[in-house]
Amino acid sequence: MRREPGGLYAAPSTIWLTVFFLAPLAIIVAYSFLTPGVRGGVEWKPTLDAYRAIANPTFAKVTLNTILVAIGATAITLLIALPCGYYMARSERQTLLLMLVMIPFWTNFLIRIYAWIAILGNEGFLNDILLALGLVDESVQFLYNRGAVMLVLVYTYLPYAILPLYSTIDKFDFSLLEAARDLGASKLGAITRVLLPNVKGGILTAFLFTFIPIFGAYAVPLLVGGTESYMLGNLIADELTKSRDWPLASAISLVITLVTTIGVLLLLRANGASTLGGAREAKAEPEPAFGGAR
Amino acid sequence: MMKRLMIAAFAATIGLVASACGGSSEKLYLFNWIYYIPEDVIEDFSKETGIQVIVDSYASNEEMYNKIVGGGDGYDIVVPSGDYVSIMIAEGLLEPIDTSRLANYGNLDPAAVARIGFDPGNRYSVPFMMAAAGVSVNRTKVSGYEHSWSVFDRSDLGGRMTMLDDMREVLGAALKSLGYSVNDPDPAHIEEARRVVERWKPNLVKFDAESFAKSFASGEFWVVQGYAENVFIEYPEARRAEVDFFFPKEGMPMYMDSFCVLRGAKNVERAYAFIDYMLRPDVAARVADYLMLPSPNVPARALMKVEPNYDFDDLARGEFKEDLGREALKLYNDAWRRIRVGN
Amino acid sequence: MSRPAARKRSSFSRSVFVGTIVFLSLPLLVLVLYSFNESKSGAWTGFSVKWYVKLFTDSPQLWRAFGNSAVVALASAFVATVIGTLGAVAVNWYRFRLRKYLRTLTFMPMILPEIIIGVSLLVFFSGIGLRLSLFTVFVAHVSFNLPFVFLLVLARLEEFDFSIIEAARDLGASDGQTLLRVILPISAPGIISGFLTAVTLSLEDFVITFFVTGPGATTLPLYVYSAIRFGVSPVINALSVVMILGTVLLTWSTRNFLKYIAAK
Repeated sequence: MRREPGGLYAAPSTIWLTVFFLAPLAIIVAYSFLTPGVRGGVEWKPTLDAYRAIANPTFAKVTLNTILVAIGATAITLLIALPCGYYMARSERQTLLLMLVMIPFWTNFLIRIYAWIAILGNEGFLNDILLALGLVDESVQFLYNRGAVMLVLVYTYLPYAILPLYSTIDKFDFSLLEAARDLGASKLGAITRVLLPNVKGGILTAFLFTFIPIFGAYAVPLLVGGTESYMLGNLIADELTKSRDWPLASAISLVITLVTTIGVLLLLRANGASTLGGAREAKAEPEPAFGGAR
Repeated sequence: MMKRLMIAAFAATIGLVASACGGSSEKLYLFNWIYYIPEDVIEDFSKETGIQVIVDSYASNEEMYNKIVGGGDGYDIVVPSGDYVSIMIAEGLLEPIDTSRLANYGNLDPAAVARIGFDPGNRYSVPFMMAAAGVSVNRTKVSGYEHSWSVFDRSDLGGRMTMLDDMREVLGAALKSLGYSVNDPDPAHIEEARRVVERWKPNLVKFDAESFAKSFASGEFWVVQGYAENVFIEYPEARRAEVDFFFPKEGMPMYMDSFCVLRGAKNVERAYAFIDYMLRPDVAARVADYLMLPSPNVPARALMKVEPNYDFDDLARGEFKEDLGREALKLYNDAWRRIRVGN
Repeated sequence: MSRPAARKRSSFSRSVFVGTIVFLSLPLLVLVLYSFNESKSGAWTGFSVKWYVKLFTDSPQLWRAFGNSAVVALASAFVATVIGTLGAVAVNWYRFRLRKYLRTLTFMPMILPEIIIGVSLLVFFSGIGLRLSLFTVFVAHVSFNLPFVFLLVLARLEEFDFSIIEAARDLGASDGQTLLRVILPISAPGIISGFLTAVTLSLEDFVITFFVTGPGATTLPLYVYSAIRFGVSPVINALSVVMILGTVLLTWSTRNFLKYIAAK
């Protein structure tokens, strides 16, 4: 019997992620139960103050705002990304289309956000055009509100949603659609009853790739949001770097971590999906990602 | 094929890492406000002395301080504002400075130095610039206002005004508008100030310390609380007369930014050389010209080619921000959090 | 397959796609336009290439930041690719004690918002007394790159059966030979796309880097972020245009390179 090299191959990544990912999370857990230091850091006196602060209704508004923005922006992103992925998968020039979708990825996203400010501002391109066409009498305030935050978030995460959808739909056997049409299904019916159930893994991946970063968004609400667009990510950063309440920042981070992790696990279970990536959809017999039967 | 590719990638990586770490020339690590010293001034220093200056930038005292305490303490020189100088002295983060080793130290305006309360006798800090955030108004869009903080009560300008995303500046403005000190520790006064800001808030587009100047220059914002140098550097030169920059009559928070040497700095000698260079009249004049600010360097004033946007007499109404201490800091933090979160 | 018929029917998805591409490239067009604008502020005052001249002749700090970004991107992508590929091979084909643990662990960084990874790493580094520097940035980047490489390689490996390994063994190959001669070549497309994805993610990252950077370790996104405190200098617009062009070239040549490999 030969010795299996699996453990050897797995060791570097296991060790790396344990030390540089799991251990830091564990420290966050510990810090959230400690007293903030006078000027940053922590004092080793256990307390539940950070959690009491979170329970305060003032935070509820930020949480609610964050959830609303995240759900809204994710829904819009997916609604746009689905037809895009479908079109790309059916096209013959996939590499070109992929490049078109990817190009914005390769410029710094902060610079792109600034370009949006130049477009949407009161004195921006869009208002110039609207004024020139006589559609409006005075500049429309597009920026610095929740709508602007959602628009730029959709813009930022669209490619992240399109790519997994495209790769899943690409593996879909389109003759099934034609079969459904032959059996009398309408076009829309064929798509919703045959295509969508078959690519739900891709939809799930796209959802996670969009919803999670938006849930922790920091830069976008900071730059294009107004006085009412404060989100949880801004709260964490401000507590850590401005108010210097490390335990509070840790506690909020921990709550987000728990919510996303549990949410993702439930979603995966409910969908019976195996793992991220969508690639596995093509396989006849998917294997559970974690804690599955095997 | 694959193996050769991997080896090539590896070699390229090693080469890049080596070139980034290499270069054994004399180095000096400077942690400074973004755009505070023009790049060519630093290049000239390098040419003169052979010392390579590695500059990293920050946009707020908090950002700088957190980086230092969080483990990013490999810098030689930092440029904190006065309140942070005293905090950092108290925390033992600074190296004492022997001003007698700075040939050009005597150039500093004694009147400006005399106002310093955060580091009496300048044992840890060497003044660089003294300034304050004020209010800039676009005259072509706004009229019939007073030089007062009350301009932020104008609901007809809603959607066109911003204040800084800076707790001390905004609460300081509110405290001043009520006639209190910008360092007032009284809970009742802080609460009153919070209500003032809550009253202003519906008229503000946002709290912004990062890009207000650009948006002000493009005509997007008409009234902004902010630093004169940001606004004027961004505003097209030909139209600068359109800008009315003022310090409100009620007074305002102000600051002195100073060079400090971090405790444990490896390149103390070079740090002295750099600070002394910055105190040289011709260099100080170049910096002040660039920022369009008054210089605390007396001989530099005669060498300046640009008229500063205000002079030291205008700062007479200002009050230095000081370290608040633990209790008051918590009250300020809580008030600011309530304002930001919006309850 | 009846591609032509399919194309005719997808007019709705086509218009959405075209609209999306316009939406995605709109900011880039604005950038290109601005990079040739003579004036510093928004209004168009005339055509000029002065920002490009300044970019290449008079922006030492920007290029230093660019150099840092390049070093971190290549080094972290390389390490993540080596480690992640081995991990994927192990998970896909071998049984070992911590298999489930590793799968979950590679999954988790992807489902956490960046800010949390940044905050936790900062707290961790400061807790163990590790000085913040380009090295800590490198460590952080490997941590968030690794899962992507892992998944991309895994997706590729899943297209192959274990019998391919057995065949190699039956022919007398050692584990090392199997890895180098069989497994690596078949997973090459996954490895290459993993590496490129890692480079991209690393070059783009702002939030995590912001928390873990130290003296002399300013990366390009951080430089850009601090530069925008005074509003974007048109030099940065010029840089973006150069980067877009470089990217298009790189993508193009990688594609041809892959074709070349495939043809061999």
